[in-house]
Amino acid sequence: MTNENFRRELNNAIDQMSGSPSPALRDRVRSSLAGAPAATGHYWIAAVAAAVIAVLLVGVLVVANPLNRRSPSPAGPIAGSSPTPTPSAPGVSPTPTSSLPAMVCASTPPTTGASAPAETYIDRLATGTHTGYDRLTIEFTNGQPSSVEVKPQAGTTFTRSPSGQTVTLLGSNGILVIIHGTDLHTAYTGSFDIKTGYTGLVEVQRVEDFEGVVQLGLGISGPACYRSFFLSNPDRLVIDIQTS
Amino acid sequence: MSSATLMEQRPQLMLSAAAGDANSFASLIDPLLDPAYRLAAVMLADRGAAEDAVQEASIKAWRKLRQLRGDLGSLRSWFLSIVANECRMTRRQRWWGVLKMAEVETDRDTEFGAGSYDLHQALLKLSPEERLPLVLHFYLDLPLEEVARILHVSPSAAKSRIYRAARRMRSDLTQEEVF
Repeated sequence: MTNENFRRELNNAIDQMSGSPSPALRDRVRSSLAGAPAATGHYWIAAVAAAVIAVLLVGVLVVANPLNRRSPSPAGPIAGSSPTPTPSAPGVSPTPTSSLPAMVCASTPPTTGASAPAETYIDRLATGTHTGYDRLTIEFTNGQPSSVEVKPQAGTTFTRSPSGQTVTLLGSNGILVIIHGTDLHTAYTGSFDIKTGYTGLVEVQRVEDFEGVVQLGLGISGPACYRSFFLSNPDRLVIDIQTS
Repeated sequence: MSSATLMEQRPQLMLSAAAGDANSFASLIDPLLDPAYRLAAVMLADRGAAEDAVQEASIKAWRKLRQLRGDLGSLRSWFLSIVANECRMTRRQRWWGVLKMAEVETDRDTEFGAGSYDLHQALLKLSPEERLPLVLHFYLDLPLEEVARILHVSPSAAKSRIYRAARRMRSDLTQEEVF
């Protein structure tokens, strides 16, 4: 089948599926636009109201402190989008802030992303080294994935899925990151095996990318202690590996 | 209004629309309503819902017009991107729509050859997100860069999505046959 044949037949199929819009559609759109307020209207009132509500909510949360982050938990959940941490660019040392979660050395339970659309796509894996930790940033398009689990383990041997083959990464201990509701092949074009040369996080390798589940194996030199949290704009999961 | 006249008047229409004239905005997007409807109909597999989505997307576009910053060159991809988002929202809000779409089944239409019928069936089996790049590239004839802007991905990722969706319809297709 040539390109032209494929295109023609596909277009026939699309024609058959869509038909033509009803003649009234244009009038419907025009009349609905005529009745809709323009962007140049008084939307600042809504914006101010939203800002006031947000400030009140933040105040209530600060006072109530429902996450109780002052008491470090050995297996704390992945924090939701936090406005304070500096985005991690490879090789750039951000200024750590006190609001970052504490480092833990145990598994975190599955955590749902702040917003979970039907499909998200990993489009970037980035690593960086900083004072006290090495950072892996997993960037998503189309929102945050439906859930994330982080599992430290002894040794760096992981089982690939769905093949069942084992793979051993560099380092002495490992962390398995399991992300549901995403993939690593639609938008991502980088390497699937990243050797960093850092002192803590030494290797990142794809272990699974199948049926909407992505597993990444992390090879760690030293104890597999970490913290993880989501940031937004762009949506990304940050995993910091403790190095000292 | 003829298309040539409209092309000449587009900058003025954009200025008027930016100043709050809904009629100018309606004229500006008028040529895009047909492609927007096709896109929505293919994504939602429901013609009534597609028209609703286009109408709703038009209102949202009107409200977000400032985002475009008067860039007429991006009007089409910007508007179609809003339509695609509206279709996604429609699907999320109406979960039963999935069942409804699964029921879409047309009679074997004699005006189409067997190849078209097969492709039609294959098209219905694709997810809406897989149909989207196909309709943008093959049906609406948009260049890869514009498809990428609508999908919010890089041109190479857009190309691979198109190819993968095409291969899901016809597994024997080579890349040369698709592009």
